[in-house]
Amino acid sequence: MSAPTFDAVVAATLAQESQRRMRRSTHALIWGVAVVAVLWFTAAQIGLNPLALAKGLPFMADFFSRMFPPDLAHLGLLGDVTVETIQIAVWGTLIAIVLSIPLALLGAKNTTPHPIVFHATRMLLNALRAINELVFALIFVAAVGLGPFAGVLAIALHATGMLAKFCAEELEGVDRGPVEAVQATGAGRMQVILFGMIPQVIPAFISYSIYRFDVSIRAATILGLVGAGGLGFSLIKTMKLFKYHETATCILVIFVLVFVSDWACSRIRAKIL
Amino acid sequence: MDLEIKGLSKTYPGASVRALNDVSIRVPAGEFLVILGPSGAGKSTLLRCINRLVEPSEGKVFHNGAEITSANGDLRAIRRSFGMVFQQFNLVKRLSVLTNVLSGRLGHRSVLRSLAYSFPEADKRIAVECLARVNMDHKAFQRADTLSGGEQQRVAIARALAQQPQVILADEPVASLDPKIARQVLGYLRQAAQELGITVLCNLHQVDYAREFAERVVGMSRGAVVFEGPSSLLTDEVLHRIYYREPGEEAKEEQ
Repeated sequence: MSAPTFDAVVAATLAQESQRRMRRSTHALIWGVAVVAVLWFTAAQIGLNPLALAKGLPFMADFFSRMFPPDLAHLGLLGDVTVETIQIAVWGTLIAIVLSIPLALLGAKNTTPHPIVFHATRMLLNALRAINELVFALIFVAAVGLGPFAGVLAIALHATGMLAKFCAEELEGVDRGPVEAVQATGAGRMQVILFGMIPQVIPAFISYSIYRFDVSIRAATILGLVGAGGLGFSLIKTMKLFKYHETATCILVIFVLVFVSDWACSRIRAKIL
Repeated sequence: MDLEIKGLSKTYPGASVRALNDVSIRVPAGEFLVILGPSGAGKSTLLRCINRLVEPSEGKVFHNGAEITSANGDLRAIRRSFGMVFQQFNLVKRLSVLTNVLSGRLGHRSVLRSLAYSFPEADKRIAVECLARVNMDHKAFQRADTLSGGEQQRVAIARALAQQPQVILADEPVASLDPKIARQVLGYLRQAAQELGITVLCNLHQVDYAREFAERVVGMSRGAVVFEGPSSLLTDEVLHRIYYREPGEEAKEEQ
């Protein structure tokens, strides 16, 4: 048999292409129908109902009208708790950064001393991330009493779970080339990590840390709901006393705080990265 | 139907040395021209000034008699008629080989259609034909990052061909390939260009390949043309002119 001609080769590949496209479209259709069906079912189950929202609009309007205008005289009382909110976020994030470095090294496949340590660390990190800051705060309020210290611990633990996991994954994704080069010098295991791997993950780690601080600020604004310090306590207190004008002031301050921290974080990130 | 470069110069912002210094070359249609020179001689800048990935500081380029360096022309139309092949292949690794080659048709198609990642049947035929020319049609449906270096560069050539260009600008296309594969890739490039009547401007730094593949050679050193002629005239004296550097010059450039 002679070699197929150029035209025959082209025709065969084109036929294969349309066949593949047909198969892909069929798959997409089947999956599309299945996904829509499941989503439709779950929407019914959790009572996803645009009509109920429309009917509820007047109540929301009523709520907002009671909050308006914000009682700016209340602003003076919020200064201390605002500062406290920032302090909680700073300390919580700082502790998390310190704790997450060793945990990341233990929890990355290529730096862990032993597979058992790896799995144990990952399990611990999953647990830390699975428990919400508010839940941690409840536990710590019971342990160390009402106040900002409980909030710091809550944020520190949850943030450690996130930072260490991200950093471990970053470690697992480092470029192999420089690592091999450091290994080839006869460097020990720890030296390889120090000189071949850690420098590669530092930019990402800084970036995650800054992002995490931003998240911590937002978390710290609500920890007061369970008595763990910060603006959240004023928020819940004014609401329970039906002083909605003061609640509006709290929300306003939270807005400003989040905006400013977002702005500051992006400035810092642009500066050091 | 030819390409004419007249007095082209380029100084990068903040640089003290001219990357290109008054370069003038005329390339007849269909020629396989090799631009030979050491790293840093300005070869890449020259190619990029032609399809205006880099804007030249001075000078003009004419294609088929029309000036293409000033802003008045339609940049997409200009780029469409110049295919480009890169040293690092620059395939989109996550896309299939065929989709990479089809992206060579983008300059001919509207954004609207591209949003759906869909191409007309006519484009698919062109793409598959180009793949068959470089003998890569059997890997059309694989992801680009599963291919070896030589195979990736052949796909990149097919992508440039799918553009149906009048000129292909090849910037060190074989610098990261071993000699056997390099010859094979240059062979595919030359053959396809010959069959389709495409002009090729190919940057190289290896003299051997220039001797083997070039119809004509332009030698560059420090941003300027220092030789122009058939590869048979590449004598030791000429090579010395192209590759010689003052002692200490290397160190100065690295600063």
